[in-house]
This record gives sequence, structure tokens and C-alpha cells, in this order.
Amino acid sequence: MPLILDVPARLRGQSITQGAFVNEFYASFSFPQSIAAGNLMLALIITAVIMTVMWSRLIRHEQATHWLITAWTAGMLLMGGAWALMLTILEASTSIAASLAAGVEMPIWTQVLIIGAGTGLVGIALWLWQRTLHNHAAGSRTFILRVLAVILLVVGAVTLIRELPAAFADADQSVLRSFNVTFMFTLFSVPLQISLGLALAVLLFQNLKGKSLFRVVFFLPYVTPFVATSVVFSLLFSHNPSSPINQLLRALSIEPQNWLRESRGIFTLILGDGIPDFLAGPGLALLVIILFNVWIYAGYSAVIFLAGLGGIENDLYEAARIDGANGWHQFRFITLPLLSPTTFFLLLVSTIGTFQTFTQIFLLRKPGGYQAVDTLNIYIFNEIQRDSPNFGYGSALAFVLFGVILVLTVLQNRVAGRKVFYG
Amino acid sequence: MADTIRISTAAATTIQPIKQSKPFPTTKALTYLILIAGGLLCLLPFIWMLSWSLMNNFEVIAGRFIPATPIWQNYATAWDTAQFSRFMWNSVRITAITITGLLLFCIPAAYAFARMRFWGRNVIFALFLATLMIPDIVTLIPNLLTVVWISRLSESIFGPGGAWLNNWQSLTIPFMASAFTIFLLRQFFAQIPNDLWDAARIDGATHLTFLRYIAIPLSRAPIMTIVTFAFIGSWNSLVWPLLVVNTDEWRPVAFGLTKFVQTDAGDEFHLQMAASVIMIIPLLIVYFLTQKQFTAGIYSGGVKG
Repeated sequence: MPLILDVPARLRGQSITQGAFVNEFYASFSFPQSIAAGNLMLALIITAVIMTVMWSRLIRHEQATHWLITAWTAGMLLMGGAWALMLTILEASTSIAASLAAGVEMPIWTQVLIIGAGTGLVGIALWLWQRTLHNHAAGSRTFILRVLAVILLVVGAVTLIRELPAAFADADQSVLRSFNVTFMFTLFSVPLQISLGLALAVLLFQNLKGKSLFRVVFFLPYVTPFVATSVVFSLLFSHNPSSPINQLLRALSIEPQNWLRESRGIFTLILGDGIPDFLAGPGLALLVIILFNVWIYAGYSAVIFLAGLGGIENDLYEAARIDGANGWHQFRFITLPLLSPTTFFLLLVSTIGTFQTFTQIFLLRKPGGYQAVDTLNIYIFNEIQRDSPNFGYGSALAFVLFGVILVLTVLQNRVAGRKVFYG
Repeated sequence: MADTIRISTAAATTIQPIKQSKPFPTTKALTYLILIAGGLLCLLPFIWMLSWSLMNNFEVIAGRFIPATPIWQNYATAWDTAQFSRFMWNSVRITAITITGLLLFCIPAAYAFARMRFWGRNVIFALFLATLMIPDIVTLIPNLLTVVWISRLSESIFGPGGAWLNNWQSLTIPFMASAFTIFLLRQFFAQIPNDLWDAARIDGATHLTFLRYIAIPLSRAPIMTIVTFAFIGSWNSLVWPLLVVNTDEWRPVAFGLTKFVQTDAGDEFHLQMAASVIMIIPLLIVYFLTQKQFTAGIYSGGVKG
């Protein structure tokens, strides 16, 4: 197996053409080790598939234990997924390090071709997998064949996509880091601001006194200029031991932190230096900016949600109450589904907006925290703002950012868009 | 029929006393508690800003919450040292020019898209809408290069005074045409009934008179929304001025405050706070005056600059 996976690595040593690559790929199957490994894998996979099929027969008879098995499988899948993810990341980082050390480059178009082909294979595998799931009743032999084909395709795809780390190794490391920061920022900000906004909106959408006052207050952070409010945040989270937040920490008998001047990840700070880099989480400085962002946009989300809540008819709640639904049921089965267009809109808009965040970060970036907070947008700005501006590189990066946003939007549309319920 | 009704009302009246004597409304109290906590979290930074702006610097550094004696003098000092007379005036000038230009260009454009038929109208409008999908960061660099290039050209024609950089042109002209504004107005103009146009035409009105005396008065609300948003965008703008202006003569107030905080008053936190409070006040006034238009703008997808 590792031999097959090493195709791109061995390729790099040779004169590179697509033909050579295909030859290498076929040749790698004839190594004795890989044949043995392949046979073993095949046997394992076949037994696994047979077991799964038999299992599914069994389950049909014992409906009572169904949920138990489902839970067990889900747990196993989750654990396996986590393990695979960790392995992938470790593998990617080692291969990046290896390619960095090797220092041999493939021409960019070959890389693009290889990675593109790999992605294509994943696509085909996914398509086949979905068809297999649909034709579940087609008989176990075709089922097994199809599963095998999917597995082969995935193996091929992995082989090809393994070139990705090598491609990344050639990349501008600070750009990669800024990408990482951008993703992290979005990943932590968007869910927080949307869920907090939803909670505030649902609580506010009752017959309460001072409703409009609350609405004005929740909206204030969004209305006031970031330039002004960021100054307060930089003082609240100052590295000074007597800053309010550090005083609060001392009251909880935690050491004062450097906040905006601390680029180490929060999990590293909590758990100690031992944990690997990819688990370090957002830098402490980024955490402050995330909090700032959530503070700004939670109220905004709440106001948008309030408009969505206003569109839900009261009759539905009344009918549900007559049927004996409690508050949670009403929220889960009426509010949440009928609010899904609003949630989807907010998800799209916030993701796009957060990816492009500039002002909040620009105002709160302090020496010492740069590494943790410089998103791609900041990087582009620095690229065109310095004494010898590099407009071409900046524009190229801007287009890359645009591409990523576009892909994310399309993905959200396809994945989350299906769950949206329009009346 | 009448009997059953009477029975049901009787039943209702007997149930009511039981309903009234329900226990202390725990959920309602909890709701209030959470909402008040959320509100406090939203307000706390503002409260802190206010109280810090009234302290002396040592108190701020010591992390006190309430000033020993409020120093109102801070505001005057901040106003002077941050050169706010100049920056405020700049922002007012920039905002006024931008909004005038915006209305001058966008209203006729929106009207033409909504009510006139000409070759390629739908294609051009679709192109306008397509620009809304492109993130700002992608257009930032081309815009900058365009402005730099026009600036050089205009300088070579009109002499040093004609340069766009470090001047009002670079700060206002790029924002005078906005696809979003045109889109918003077009939707309103398109809703005006055709009968009105027919009647006006019989009375001899041209498109221009129709726009002036009927279309604009009917669309006062969306125009107010646009003006509000243009004001906020212009008041808060930071990135663009950072790129095209490097003298105090045309620095807007957001840029001025940032410069003041980062360089001039790097250690004088109480003055930073006072300056921030001063900068927020005009915006808060606009917000409270135009709350309705503001919320309408938010719902129609307007974004803050």
C-alpha cells in the first residue's frame, strides 16, 4: 500500500510526463509487497462487506435492538473518523516536511493535473456510492462489486491527492498560515454568532415589556463604528495585569494573559506545550477578535431572526399546544424548520462576511499576535500597502480567496440548502 | 345550541380562577434574566468606554471601573489633540459629496432601468447585479490602480491641484455609483403604477419631470435608507482612505481616530476613550433618528462599510 501511495514521490525523481506516471502507477502494483498487502486488504474488505450485509439482514428481524446497533455503529464511525482525520493531518504534515526537505519541485501543471484527477476520482467514487445506496436491493453481489469499485477509486484518488501536501510545501508558508487563521476565525465566529442571535431572538419574541429597548441595545454593537469599539476591547483585553479581564482571571485564580499579544493556541495554553500544532486551536489573540466579532454580530443575527420569527403563524403554535407539545417541542419542530430560510441566509452572509473581515482584525492586531490573527485579507492588504507594493501577488491572492468563498458558498448551498424548508 | 354555548362559557368562568392563581412565572423571570444579562454584555463595553473617558490615565491603567472624580475636561483635550475639528470637517465634507454624487448618479440610473426601454437594458442590469457577487477584496486592488492612474493623468492635465490622490476625488468618486443602491431603487421605481406615467404623459410630462415630481416623492423611504447607509459607510470607512490618503488634509474621522490611537496617544488611554466617545456620538444620533430606515436597509441586505 505505501508503495502505491508513493507514486508521486518517486515520480519527482524522474523526468516527468503523464505517461511515466501511469507506468509507475501500474508498476507499483507488481511489487511483491504491494500484492501481498493488496490481497490482505481485499480479504479484509470482503469479510467486512459480507459481515455488514449479514448484519443488515439480522437487524431487519430484531427491530428492538436496532437503535443500539445504530448508536454503536455511529460511535465506531465517529471514532474511526477522528482517527482517520488525525492520521491524515499527521501524514500531511510529515509529507509536507519531507517535500520541504527534498526540495524537488514538479512543474505546476503536472501537479494541477494530478490533483485534479484525484479530485475527479473522489467525485466518481461519491457518485457511485450514492447510486449503490439507492440500489440497495439489487442483490449482494453487485453491491459488493460496487463497494469494491468505490474503494479502488478512493485509493486511486488518495494516491493522486497525496501530491497536494507536496504542492503546499512549495507554497508561501505565511499565506498558508493566513488561510488557516481565516478558516479558524470563520469556524469559531459564525456558529457562535448565529446560535447566540437565535437564542436572543427566540427569548425576545414573546410578549415582554421593553422589547424594543432590548432590540435597540442588542443592535448597538453593530451600529457603532468598529474603530471606536475596538479601542475598548483592546483595553479590556490588554496584556496589562490590571486590565479588567486579567483582574477577572485573577479573581478566578488564573494567571494574567497577554491576550492580543499572544499568538499561541488556546488549547496549547490550557493543556500545556505537549499537544501537536494542528490541535492548538485559534491563537489567544484570535480568540479575542472572535469574541469581538461575536459581540458585534450576535445582535445583528438576532434582529434578522426576529424578522423571520415574525413570519411564522401563531396558529401553528396553538395547534401544537393543543396536541400537548411543550416549549422545546415547539421550538424544535415548528420554530427551527420554519426559520431555516433565515438561518440559511445568515449562514451564507456571515460566512462570506467573516471570510472577508478586515477592519476588526486590522484594528486589533498587536505586535506578538500577528501570527495568530493575520487572515488572508490582512495579508493581501499588507502586500499592497508596504513600500514596494506587489499588486500582482495581492490580486492573485484575492482571487484565491474569492475562489474559496465561492466553493464554500456552493457547498453550503448543496449541503445545507437541501434542509431548508420553504413553507 | 344556546345551551351548549352557555355551558361552555360557564365552564370557562369556572376555570379562570384556577388559571389566575398559577405559581410564580419562573420561565418568564428566567427569560428576563438571560435577556438582561445579554443586554448588559452588549452595553458593558460602552459603559466602560464612558467611564474610562472620564478618568485620568493612571486610573485607566489600574483597571478601575468608576472614576474617582469625573474629568469632563478629557473630551476637550481629546478633541484638540486628536485634531477632531479637522477630521470631523473632513468626514462631513466627504460624506456630503459622496451622498450628493450617489443620489445624482444612482437615481437616474435606477429610473432608466426600471421605466425606460432601451437596447441591452436587461443585459446591462444583469451585469450590474453580477458585480454584487464579487467580494470587495477582489475589486480593491484594480480600483486602487485605476484611481492612481486617473490621478496621474489628471495631474498631468490640470497641474498638481488636479491629482486625485490625497484629494476629495479619490475618497468620493469611487463610491458615487453603487450597484446595490441602483438595484434597491429600481425595485421601487418599477412598482410605480403605469397609470401614473400615462396620466403624466398626457399632461405633457417628460421622463425627467416624471422622475422629479412623481417617482422621487413616492420613493422617499428607500432614498432615506440609502442616505443613511451611505452616511454610515462613509463615516466608518477606513481601508480605502488608508490606501489613497496620507495627509491630514483629507483624512476622515475613522482614519483620524485610528492614527490618534496607534501613534499620537499610544499611552494616553483616557484620551483614546474620550475620542472614541466623540466619534460614536454622530452615528448614534443618526441611528436613533432613522431607526426605521436603518432596519429596512438591514432587511433588504444592505451591508455596513
